[in-house]
Amino acid sequence: MVSVCFYFQVHQPFRLKKYSVFDIGNNSDYFDEEKNKEIIKKVAKKCYLPTNKLLLKLIKRHEGKFKVSFSISGVALEQFEKYAPEVLHSFRELAKTGQVEFLSETYHHSLSFLFDKQEFKQQVLMHKQKIKDLFDQEPKVFRNTELVYNNELANFVQGMGYNAILAEGADHILGWKSPNFIYTPKTAENMKLLLKNYKLSDDVAFRFSNKGWNEHPLTVEKYGRWISENNGNGHLINLFMDYETFGEHQWEDTGIFEFMEKLPEEILKHPDNDFVTVSEAAEKYPSVAELDIHNFMSWADVERDLSAWLGNSLQNSAAQELYKIGTIVKKTGDPALLSDWRKLTTSDHFYYMCIKWFSDGDVHKYFNPYDTPYEGFITFMNVLNDIIIRVRELQKQKQSEDKKLTYAQTTQVEFSHNMISETPSLTLIDPEISLSKIE
Amino acid sequence: MLGWELPPFFAGGVGMVCYHLTKALCDHGVDVTYVMPFGPRMICSGYMKIMVADHLFPKLRFKLKEVETLIGAYTTPESYGEDYQKYLASLSSKDRSKSLYGPNVFQEAQLFARKVRLIAFNEDFDVIHAHDHWTFPAAIAAKKASGKPLIVHVHITEFDKTGGTGVNQRVYDMEREGMHAADLVIVVSNFVKQRLMNNYGVPEEKIRVVHNAAEMMDETADHDASKIKETDKIVLFIGRITLQKGPDYFVEAARKVLEKDQNVKFIMAGTGDMLPRMIERVAEIGIANKFIFPGFVSRDEVAKLNKIADVFVMPSVSEPFGLVPLEAMWQETPAIISRQSGVSEVLNHVLKVDFWDVNDIAAKTLALLHYRSLHQQIKQHGALEVRNMTWEGPAQKCMDIYKELAGNR
Repeated sequence: MVSVCFYFQVHQPFRLKKYSVFDIGNNSDYFDEEKNKEIIKKVAKKCYLPTNKLLLKLIKRHEGKFKVSFSISGVALEQFEKYAPEVLHSFRELAKTGQVEFLSETYHHSLSFLFDKQEFKQQVLMHKQKIKDLFDQEPKVFRNTELVYNNELANFVQGMGYNAILAEGADHILGWKSPNFIYTPKTAENMKLLLKNYKLSDDVAFRFSNKGWNEHPLTVEKYGRWISENNGNGHLINLFMDYETFGEHQWEDTGIFEFMEKLPEEILKHPDNDFVTVSEAAEKYPSVAELDIHNFMSWADVERDLSAWLGNSLQNSAAQELYKIGTIVKKTGDPALLSDWRKLTTSDHFYYMCIKWFSDGDVHKYFNPYDTPYEGFITFMNVLNDIIIRVRELQKQKQSEDKKLTYAQTTQVEFSHNMISETPSLTLIDPEISLSKIE
Repeated sequence: MLGWELPPFFAGGVGMVCYHLTKALCDHGVDVTYVMPFGPRMICSGYMKIMVADHLFPKLRFKLKEVETLIGAYTTPESYGEDYQKYLASLSSKDRSKSLYGPNVFQEAQLFARKVRLIAFNEDFDVIHAHDHWTFPAAIAAKKASGKPLIVHVHITEFDKTGGTGVNQRVYDMEREGMHAADLVIVVSNFVKQRLMNNYGVPEEKIRVVHNAAEMMDETADHDASKIKETDKIVLFIGRITLQKGPDYFVEAARKVLEKDQNVKFIMAGTGDMLPRMIERVAEIGIANKFIFPGFVSRDEVAKLNKIADVFVMPSVSEPFGLVPLEAMWQETPAIISRQSGVSEVLNHVLKVDFWDVNDIAAKTLALLHYRSLHQQIKQHGALEVRNMTWEGPAQKCMDIYKELAGNR
């Protein structure tokens, strides 16, 4: 028996607009509405709408035998509501078939688990609520941003009531073991761990149109054979990929839609094969062994680690500065401020600061709205500095209202960290002083 | 090779490129006969130069041919006139009728060509490689005399020097004639390639882009912990203070920076026709106390300035290549460079700006001065990047081009 489990990731960040040092303290309009709208509309047209339509057709055609799972970030859902409600509608149509499962993730597609577990929990709950509101489903399976995973995370989400979690089937953790079985995380005995079969997933997601690949062109027959070959030595083939694979990463003229249209039939030709959603997979198969994964891993780049987001000092310091102010942002009680801050936690902002130019760098470049990672960093830090000004202003208001405030001093010390030297008239991070000076 | 003055007598980037390229070519086993213009400006330095050259190059591969002329790599028709008057003044009155040099730069270029033609008759070589336009008539003469293929190497055009206004027609004609007479044209960037296609009618297939490399700098320039550094950070401009280099944009950006941060000093090193205007301008807008104008700086001083600066800015309006930021990066100073430059085609670890966008120049300067991790990252990666840009690459490309041409014969 081989079950095929499709999980598609849908995500779009709120991209920042060009926000210069001269904007700090003058405007708090950070997000590039026009560009975000344009991208959502473009990808909707090329990918989301046609692929949803295709999947709906396939689900109907195969009468309960074809099913898929989705994880859609909250920030993507929010943008669909805003810019492309027809996309949301088509996902709802899919949800109604009963053959589509939605997963839990952080609302903001963030790396918050690495920095602030309380914030992580809040973002997961926000997302859960959003899925319930939109699709009337209560997710039972969790997937973390970019499949970032380790023992500790498995344990933490077990505590939140999930019964399964997804991760990359990376060679360095599996060794001789196969990703085509279910495992148990060492620290979470009630959880099931589903691992991505990255070879078969990437054959479609990355290599499908690569003419330099010796298996090109990838036919349905060939791919169906590769999957069926696992009968007898695996339970489950987890095909995890970005949903944008269809029509956006692999353009329509590559034949990706025709491939997908014929694939269910080809796989179901073999009487021992079927399709499952992530929950069904977790229920259907027992765990074969325990997996001990201490260090964080992910599904990105060749390293399969965190280096795409936290691999250099720019990324690390930007992330640290961001999460450092989480608590005080929340204490202000200002919903607009918190919403802006949370949108900055989206992992893409850190991805844009990646300077691994070579080998994987080209992928980064393709998705990067900035000319260079350095500009990504500057824009992000400028926005963060403006947020800090807003925090201070709100603190001052509160202070004058009633209680004494100790944060003003502590933040001043904290944020001097990211400057070349501590001279009194600096504008950045410590903006009040010099801004008042200009007048 | 028809080149320009070699170190230590170089005058600017072209001489530097000629030196490094020739050295790398010799290292790769190419025999170079180097024709070097020299004039009375370098009084009695003739044999010294040969000594210098002797130890700079592998002896067997390198042969120096000096040709006397009043022309230098950066001569303009106007500056030649001045030099010629100075030369005349140095002669006794009865010698004046027997001048060794042409009364204007174009006639002098023809005189130079006649001398080079003689060398071309007597020397054995496979290709002619000529750098920037005053040598072009000589290069054409050498081609006619020898029947060997000609490569002209374009480092800068009249359009870049003048900013597009007041292009000297005769200079343009000379450049154009050289490019069209050549079998192949080497340019130092795609930026120049576009210029040649658009303004000189050179067909694309005749052009080869060979980017310059970073030169080897003296790494031991002492870190001058000068007084300024105690209170202020330093933003540096180095270059000729002329329209082409965009000094005025540097000044306007400085003004913007100072609006946000008073503890910054700006050093504008170099000389040029716009220097007086720049000094006036900083006084006019009340930031004269934030500016230092050291005038002409020596090689050592360049290294020192680069070492003490926190940010280097090259706001060039039109920069065919632009070696100066590479020197700054070599000294571990992060650079902000104009996108209107050839060097921006090959650098990743810099911040790029449009020269006219003084807000962006100021914003990026402030970012480098205030975001420590950004400064660190660009400093480290930038230094690494230039250290990996060796002259092997350009030399190899030139050799391929030589083979391409010699093979056709």
